Amino acid sequence: MSESKFRAAVIGLGRMGSTFDDEIEQGGQFFMPYCHAPTYTASPQTDLISGADPHAEQGEIFADRWGLERGQIYADYREMLEAERPEFVSICTTARLRAQIMIDAINAGVKAIWAEKPFTLSLAEADEVIELGNRNGVAIAVNCSRRYNVFFNQARRMVDEGELGEILQITAYAQCNLSHNGSHSIDAMRYLAAGDVEWVFGEMESDEKAAGEEDLMGNGYMAFDNGARGFLRGTPTGAAPWEFDLIGTEGRVRTLAQGMEAQYYRWVPGGLRDQGLPARAPFPLPTQIPSSGLSVIEDLVDCIETGRQPRCSGEDGRKALEIAIALRESHRRGGRRVDLPLADRSLRILSVEIREDALPARVRRMQQNQGAG
Amino acid sequence: MSESTYRAAVIGLGRMGSTFDDEIKQGGQFFMPYCHAPTYAASPHTELVAGADPHAEQGAIFAERWGLEDRQIYADYREMLEAERPDFVSMCTTARLRAAIMIDAINAGVKAIWAEKPFTLSLAEADEVIELAASKGVAIAVNCSRRYNVFFTEARRMVEEGDLGELLQITAYTQCNLSSNGSHAIDTMCYLVGGDVEWVFGEMESDEKADADEDLMGNGYMAFDNGVRGFLRGTPTGAAPWEFDLIGTEGRVRSLAQGMETQYYRWVPGGPRGRNLPARAPFPLPTTVPAMGPAVIEDLVQCIDSGAPPRCSDEDGRKALEIAIAMRESHRQGGRRIDLPLPDRSLRLLSSEIAQDAVPARIRRLKGRWP
Repeated sequence: MSESKFRAAVIGLGRMGSTFDDEIEQGGQFFMPYCHAPTYTASPQTDLISGADPHAEQGEIFADRWGLERGQIYADYREMLEAERPEFVSICTTARLRAQIMIDAINAGVKAIWAEKPFTLSLAEADEVIELGNRNGVAIAVNCSRRYNVFFNQARRMVDEGELGEILQITAYAQCNLSHNGSHSIDAMRYLAAGDVEWVFGEMESDEKAAGEEDLMGNGYMAFDNGARGFLRGTPTGAAPWEFDLIGTEGRVRTLAQGMEAQYYRWVPGGLRDQGLPARAPFPLPTQIPSSGLSVIEDLVDCIETGRQPRCSGEDGRKALEIAIALRESHRRGGRRVDLPLADRSLRILSVEIREDALPARVRRMQQNQGAG
Repeated sequence: MSESTYRAAVIGLGRMGSTFDDEIKQGGQFFMPYCHAPTYAASPHTELVAGADPHAEQGAIFAERWGLEDRQIYADYREMLEAERPDFVSMCTTARLRAAIMIDAINAGVKAIWAEKPFTLSLAEADEVIELAASKGVAIAVNCSRRYNVFFTEARRMVEEGDLGELLQITAYTQCNLSSNGSHAIDTMCYLVGGDVEWVFGEMESDEKADADEDLMGNGYMAFDNGVRGFLRGTPTGAAPWEFDLIGTEGRVRSLAQGMETQYYRWVPGGPRGRNLPARAPFPLPTTVPAMGPAVIEDLVQCIDSGAPPRCSDEDGRKALEIAIAMRESHRQGGRRIDLPLPDRSLRLLSSEIAQDAVPARIRRLKGRWP
């Protein structure tokens, strides 16, 4: 590990950049610190040295909270990159600007990028950022946070060590717009199934939505190259909120209710006609439970030193987006199997989070509360 | 209900006709009596009066076990229908002959047919049997037995009474050939959802299998006319054997491990950010748990009296077959959505149970060639 601390800056000083952890009161899906500024502050490997946001009030709140001088806050992130020369940069702005900011950060010479999801809006943007990042040796981690969650890590460890036998099925019930939180659900399916998707079939929430570029809900079937099959329900899931079900020949892991519970089942002798029984066993926790955010930093520091790709890489971010777009293409083509990769790189999904992004989410929320009051 | 008992006969005197219940040591998926002869013997509505099977030894074993005279056993089911004039007939032969036997039984004047699954091999056969039965007023129940299982009937009751809210999803993990045991899996999905399938997508176990008429494993996605979506995994399911998961806006029922356990979840206030929690609640059993075979008989007796279709009707049997065939068509056509109904009625699926059906399953098992 490096001796000195890395200089870290946050671009986009709102909810994910600064305050998200305030909303979390129960462990399971997240372990604190999780979002960007709290993580840089807590990590022994980073110093939070700067922030950038075009909204002055966002910068003031951020500076007060994280103990920065006003001189460390910039309205223009390009000025910040130039003046502060950060080694780590977090991209916590609206997704509309993410690709451009990542390109500017890479060109400014950063060592590592920690990007919020979705990675980009279009496949072409993703291609450009990944190519530029690789050429400049910049490690890019996408914050599809389940890859840095202990229950998902343990499930994947069980897959890698053969405890679940051959992986057959990954099912996700995860109501989501396919770019916005779909980037989480699709990435988590890929992570757990430990394979790449070769083709998909998808049904979107409506023909009108499928024909447009706005973010949308949908369901899909996925064929993985290792033989596993996936089913994603991204349309409303009612009493089954955010659930992942990983089924193998010898065992099964289910993570339920937004990660609040994880279950482990082993295939044991016995049962009707001696065909075997799925017996519930204690879920194997590791001896330490790491913070989600600090795990990302550890991962990126190791990537800087070794040159390997992060656990949730730019490539993973691109694949989640490409699968989402392919599911929509399947619907657009009248319900047809669609092979990956997609030839048309201009395809894009306008992640729902870019709606109304002229105003910070904090301000929109205050206005909504006033309207409701 | 009629006062007198109905005269019942079994055609095909093997495993489902006579001995299947001997294999069952635990309740859940089945409650006894379940298969045909034990049910006719137990039901107050029926009297077992005859059996038919071309294999003499099958007939001898059947007569001895169920207390019939030798003359009540026939090698030719047509002779039996003519001589015994049964009111109820059970179809427990290989599926290869099922449609022809049903047609002969209807023409011989039976009142009710209790048919093993799959209903038929081809859609054309199913169409012919259904049309003939309707014209003669014969009630046909297909033995997709989960419709007569208390856990599934309670789940269905919860749906109808709104306990699960608006239904959203049915998922089945059920390793099966799509005609043989797929007829169970698909029919159960349709029963729990209470809607009709409008279109499907399917992926079969291989291109070669999909090209042929032999029974095969596959997965599928189903769009129901009431908005529900279905996912069936009929390829191997490993540590998740025979599971049905019914998800609504207000609740959820899961039937696990071949019916050995059933779980009920309710959507209750609470949880992080006040977004509610899926809380497990006791599964609500009724005050009596009916035997499954006698439940079929009760159903058929009521159908004879009222003219209503049975809980698992010939129409339901045809739909399960048509959905299975449509999933295979989806694969055959390169992975595309297939709308129902299918225009080509000659399509068929040669249920895996007709393999080696020249010899009774009991003999094949003795010779170590089971199944």
